[in-house]
Amino acid sequence: MIETQHLGRVFDGTVAVEDVSFSIKDGEAFAFLGPNGAGKTTTVRMLCCLIGATTGTGFIDGLDIREKSNHIKIRSMIGLLPENPGMYESLSAHRNLDFYARLYGVPESEREARISEMLKRLGIYERRNDAVGKFSKGMKQKIAIARALMHEPSYIFLDEPTAALDPEAALTVRNFLMELKKEGRTIFLNTHNLDEAQRVCDRIGVLKTRLLATGTPDELSSRFFGKSTVVGLKETNPDYLLALRQLPGVLDAKIGDKCILISVADPASQNPSIISTLVAKGAQIEYVQEVKHGLEDIYLKLMGDSK
Amino acid sequence: MRFEKSWIIVRKEFSEFRKNKYILYSLFLMPILMAVVLPTVYLVPISTFATPPANHPLDLGISIVQELQGSNLSNGTAENIRFFNTNLDNMIVYKCEFFNCSIVNSVVRDSNLTSSTITNSVVEHSNLRFSATTDSSTPGSLFLGSQSESEKYLVLIIDSLLMFFVLIPAIIPTVIASYSFVGEKLNKSLEPLLATPTSDTELLMGKTLAIFIPSVLVTWISLLPAVIIVDLVTYPILGYYILPNMIWIIGVFFVAPLFCILSVLVNVIISARVSDVRTSQQIGSIVVLPAIAFFIVALAGIVVLNEVYMLLFGTAILAIDLVVFYVALRVFQREEILVKWK
Ligand SMILES: Nc1ncnc2c1ncn2[C@@H]1O[C@H](COP(=O)(O)OP(=O)(O)OP(=O)(O)O)[C@@H](O)[C@H]1O
Ligand SMILES: [Mg+2]
Repeated sequence: MIETQHLGRVFDGTVAVEDVSFSIKDGEAFAFLGPNGAGKTTTVRMLCCLIGATTGTGFIDGLDIREKSNHIKIRSMIGLLPENPGMYESLSAHRNLDFYARLYGVPESEREARISEMLKRLGIYERRNDAVGKFSKGMKQKIAIARALMHEPSYIFLDEPTAALDPEAALTVRNFLMELKKEGRTIFLNTHNLDEAQRVCDRIGVLKTRLLATGTPDELSSRFFGKSTVVGLKETNPDYLLALRQLPGVLDAKIGDKCILISVADPASQNPSIISTLVAKGAQIEYVQEVKHGLEDIYLKLMGDSK
Repeated sequence: MRFEKSWIIVRKEFSEFRKNKYILYSLFLMPILMAVVLPTVYLVPISTFATPPANHPLDLGISIVQELQGSNLSNGTAENIRFFNTNLDNMIVYKCEFFNCSIVNSVVRDSNLTSSTITNSVVEHSNLRFSATTDSSTPGSLFLGSQSESEKYLVLIIDSLLMFFVLIPAIIPTVIASYSFVGEKLNKSLEPLLATPTSDTELLMGKTLAIFIPSVLVTWISLLPAVIIVDLVTYPILGYYILPNMIWIIGVFFVAPLFCILSVLVNVIISARVSDVRTSQQIGSIVVLPAIAFFIVALAGIVVLNEVYMLLFGTAILAIDLVVFYVALRVFQREEILVKWK
């Protein structure tokens, strides 16, 4: 479990992170969304025991990050992909991974197998003996991910893993993250990419110095936009709206393009009466659907609200 | 402190050094320059002008007819006389022997002089043993059993060569450390390294050792050619092998490694504030100043360069090392590196 309690960090008077509390269950994938300077990197660095917290604290697998004596233990349980891949460019991909495998204390007998397996999974095995300096950004990023996984950590922190990658490379990385999730590892993903967050992660936290919201995309969507049902019609009629607004549990109804948008408290129980009302009014229904607000709407609304 | 963690880092650093041509150049060229080129350039010209040693005194055919003890002689001539504790002034002397005498304003020929002082005189075709000359010339004479002028000069030059052996291990780290620390900083490769389960001390120890080992090894390896060259060039003049001697052994095996550590640690501190390899090298070279100052003081004759003085110098550097190590350890902390290193 990754947990923070009122975690905060100030740099020479600049508040980077303030009063952040969340908890991530083992095996869960959590996306940390937020604009530039929101404090995502700072939070990750605090959790990886790289920098100290000024207020509050965090726990990795129950170990308090404030305790210096826990640091080495915590670091051996986590894998970090920092913002910059930071590979040793004159050394080969293999040598880079070998160095980290040794530092992480991977037993000699498993080292080679693990390096090869990782390189193969990421599709760079053929170039293992080339100097990393000759690699493209995407390949460096893949090696950096492999590096973070050399010791098979239970907790993986990734700071914008696909930020500098082309769509294809980004997809490879994303699919790889999904595999890691399937293996049961806990993933903490800093990202600007809402689509990525939605695809890879179970839950989302929106940060802007303070934690603005956490939850699954669905939870957030209904929390900030309520729930709505859209009914597609052959023809719309303002009379329908009046009838619908009379119904209990219907909060609002609007006419759209060949459809009616109805905000409801609980679609499952309201939808049958909505449909029967519309049918009684002679409407010709083409489809009925629940409306889900995308993460983008949620994110933009949160950012707008926080201004 | 787990030494095996540091050693993993040392080996990684070595892999990187092998790929860096500037580090390789400095590891190969610096010792060649300092241990081979400089001794040759310095010593060869001096040795060609120096008086050769005299193992066999000149055969002068003296037949003593009189012995004189503790008198003062002036304005005269002397021949076939043996003088003890005599002061001679303005004399012309031929085929005589002198013991503990003082000879002033005189001309001496075909004589043996032992433990005597010669001032403002000419000593021609004579044997001098343990005798000192001042403002005098000694055409065709031999110095036996004492330091000649050229020998004194050679010893001084050889002492000054020792300076380079203290400087090599201080200069090489400024080159390596600038790449090792500033390079790692520019490359942003410190953060993943800091995320590993190693302590700050283990990391600093690993990086320091990685620079210390090649710098000191290269210094020690260049000692051998330097000793051989110095001995080859100076043996004909001195008549004995001057190196290795105790001063050099203390210098190369005690002072030089300590200086090397100082240089590495100072460079750690510098790289925390500097983000450019060249600037780091330039500032880092300041480390050599104390060594140069020390040798200037010694060579200018203000103090005599001897074993005690060398040991004291080494101990002073050791004390500075400890202070600087403490500072470096404070600078080389995760929080400090990620938040303050710019
Ligand atoms: N070493 C530092 N010294 C001073 N201020 C810092 C330092 N590191 C971060 N900050 C400040 O803390 C705030 C949060 O920065 P952080 O890097 O955590 O944001 P982020 O969410 O990772 O942004 P980005 O999306 O751009 O990576 C910013 O205002 C930044 O200026
Ligand atoms: Mg960031």
